[in-house]
Amino acid sequence: MLSFVFRKLLMLIPTLLGITLITFTLVHLIPGDPVAIMAGERGISAERHAQVMAELGLDRPLWEQYLSFLGNLVQGDLGHSLISSNPVLDEFLSLFPATLELGFCAMLLAVCLGIPLGVIAGIKRGSIIDHTVMGTSLTGYSMPIFWWGLLLIIFFSGILGWTPVSGRLSSSFWIETPTGFMLIDTLLSGEPGAFVDALRHLVLPTIVLATIPLAVIARMTRSSILEVLGEDYIRTARAKGLSPWRIIAIHALRNAMIPVTTVIGLQIGLLFSGAILTETIFSWPGIGKWLIDAVSRRDYPSLQGGILLIALIVMVVNLIVDLLYGLINPRIRHHR
Amino acid sequence: MALLEIEQLSVSFDTDEGSFAAVSDLSLTLNEGEVLGIVGESGSGKSVTMLAMMGLLPFNARVEASRFHFAGQDMQTLSDRARRRLTGNDIAMIFQEPSTSLNPSFTIGFQLLEAIRAHEGGSRRQRRERAIELLDQVGIPAPAKRLNDYPHQLSGGMNQRVMIAMAIACNPRLLIADEPTTALDVTIQAQILDLLMRLQEERGMAMILITHDMGVVAGAARRVAVMYAGQLMETGVSHDVFREPAHPYTGALLNALPERHPGTARLPTIPGVVPGINDRPQGCLFHPRCTHARPDCRASRPALVTMHAETGLGIRHVRCYHPLNEEDLEIMS
Repeated sequence: MLSFVFRKLLMLIPTLLGITLITFTLVHLIPGDPVAIMAGERGISAERHAQVMAELGLDRPLWEQYLSFLGNLVQGDLGHSLISSNPVLDEFLSLFPATLELGFCAMLLAVCLGIPLGVIAGIKRGSIIDHTVMGTSLTGYSMPIFWWGLLLIIFFSGILGWTPVSGRLSSSFWIETPTGFMLIDTLLSGEPGAFVDALRHLVLPTIVLATIPLAVIARMTRSSILEVLGEDYIRTARAKGLSPWRIIAIHALRNAMIPVTTVIGLQIGLLFSGAILTETIFSWPGIGKWLIDAVSRRDYPSLQGGILLIALIVMVVNLIVDLLYGLINPRIRHHR
Repeated sequence: MALLEIEQLSVSFDTDEGSFAAVSDLSLTLNEGEVLGIVGESGSGKSVTMLAMMGLLPFNARVEASRFHFAGQDMQTLSDRARRRLTGNDIAMIFQEPSTSLNPSFTIGFQLLEAIRAHEGGSRRQRRERAIELLDQVGIPAPAKRLNDYPHQLSGGMNQRVMIAMAIACNPRLLIADEPTTALDVTIQAQILDLLMRLQEERGMAMILITHDMGVVAGAARRVAVMYAGQLMETGVSHDVFREPAHPYTGALLNALPERHPGTARLPTIPGVVPGINDRPQGCLFHPRCTHARPDCRASRPALVTMHAETGLGIRHVRCYHPLNEEDLEIMS
């Protein structure tokens, strides 16, 4: 078990190295440079431009820049943002809780809704419930996130006025944020109404971000349940005279969850790309929005560092899913 | 009163292309403590009949019978809940593939305790002791340790023993064994069969043993029923049936036994296959493969008739217009 974790961790190194190379190349392929963009429409003289580029170290050959980036990386230094001159790691860590909070709520919604819906659709195959769940999930899966988000904002925030349009908390509240998780911080602050306000801000982004994972999980659960229900051990369970509820909830679900766990792990990785769009739509001050801003400002260090950190998180999450897999599937646990 | 009484049972499956009869006009009785062997090729409807008895058929199956009583209860009017109280408690079943019949995600102990808890009370401790006792009875060494094992950690033979322990957990009055040894090694087959026969005798439970091994039936079952394409072809006391088969199908099955042809290079076979559920022939279902078929066999389907063998002890039923006579048997042997 420990050697398995160690091997997996060791394999992260070449993967991460590959990712640095790809992001570094792609980032520098974007036309334009940070200095020209900082200068804005007024422009800047060629001399001054060259001077600032030299100050930022951007005049050096690319391979040299890459090697120095790697050298700093090995020492745990992701560099400084070209815009704010704060360390990239600090910026990332200060914004990450917002993304984590949103992603966690979205995944919670997707799992808590997707699995039961998939199970019901599977049991009642061919029924109206099945067709409704499958049809809706296909629609949700095919819907472009940005458009879906806008529709929700127009309807719930615009027409009905039930939810705020953007942000994490109304500006009328001013609270300390020791944890960075708004739901926890508002509770800790003791400010009346702050928690509910944070929750209201969270609802729409959560729904938007959860839509695709929800659809994928529901569909996967359905097909997995259908497969499991045809197994011999389900017949054995029925032959024992167990209640249908127990057969589904205990005997079928445990086995059906094995492929669903894999899918959930993969969805966590995809969640970040969903978060970039969702955070942009809802002005959610998280990693996604920060990355988009970094792209538009050609903030090379922030982009490189941010993408690297996200890649690292995704890989660690997948490692955890691999380990969980052994937890629910005894056959894997013992053969390892 | 008989423990199990079935008259004119038919099982059909509703599909998109229509309804197909898997079993038709099947009548059986079984007394308390009696062992009945059911033989027939694959696809003859043996398992479907048993699953119908257990109420384990898929939802598109329709089971009809003019009489279907178990221990005096009409199974056809029983509610689902009452039916579940019966299955696993009074009627239990073991299956062909022990390794896939146990849930791979739960320990042996969990699955065995669950069977005990479903129908019997007692404290957690008592149930655990009962589980260990059951595993011991079915010949599993170090039973207390095995409780924490998963099915994949045990051999096929051991898994089948666990299945048997689960089946007898609630002292059933009828145990249905659906080809319990087919998936096992030959040496293990005899052990499992011995175990089943010992348990049957000790507990005095009735047993239906489905197999396509005629030798197994001859040794284990007092009565035998031969099935073909969803119909009973012949029933009677196994000793009589095996010595003087009346139905050509029974005769052909017996004739295909290797032990009847020592030293021969090629064993006799029954040409062709059991007709599928939707290409059953007119007339007698067996006539296309029957060496004794005559014109009337093609014209109409024979009914199951009672026939008294000259030396027979029990009643013999045969579904054939031209049962085998002594001359035919001479030629065969």
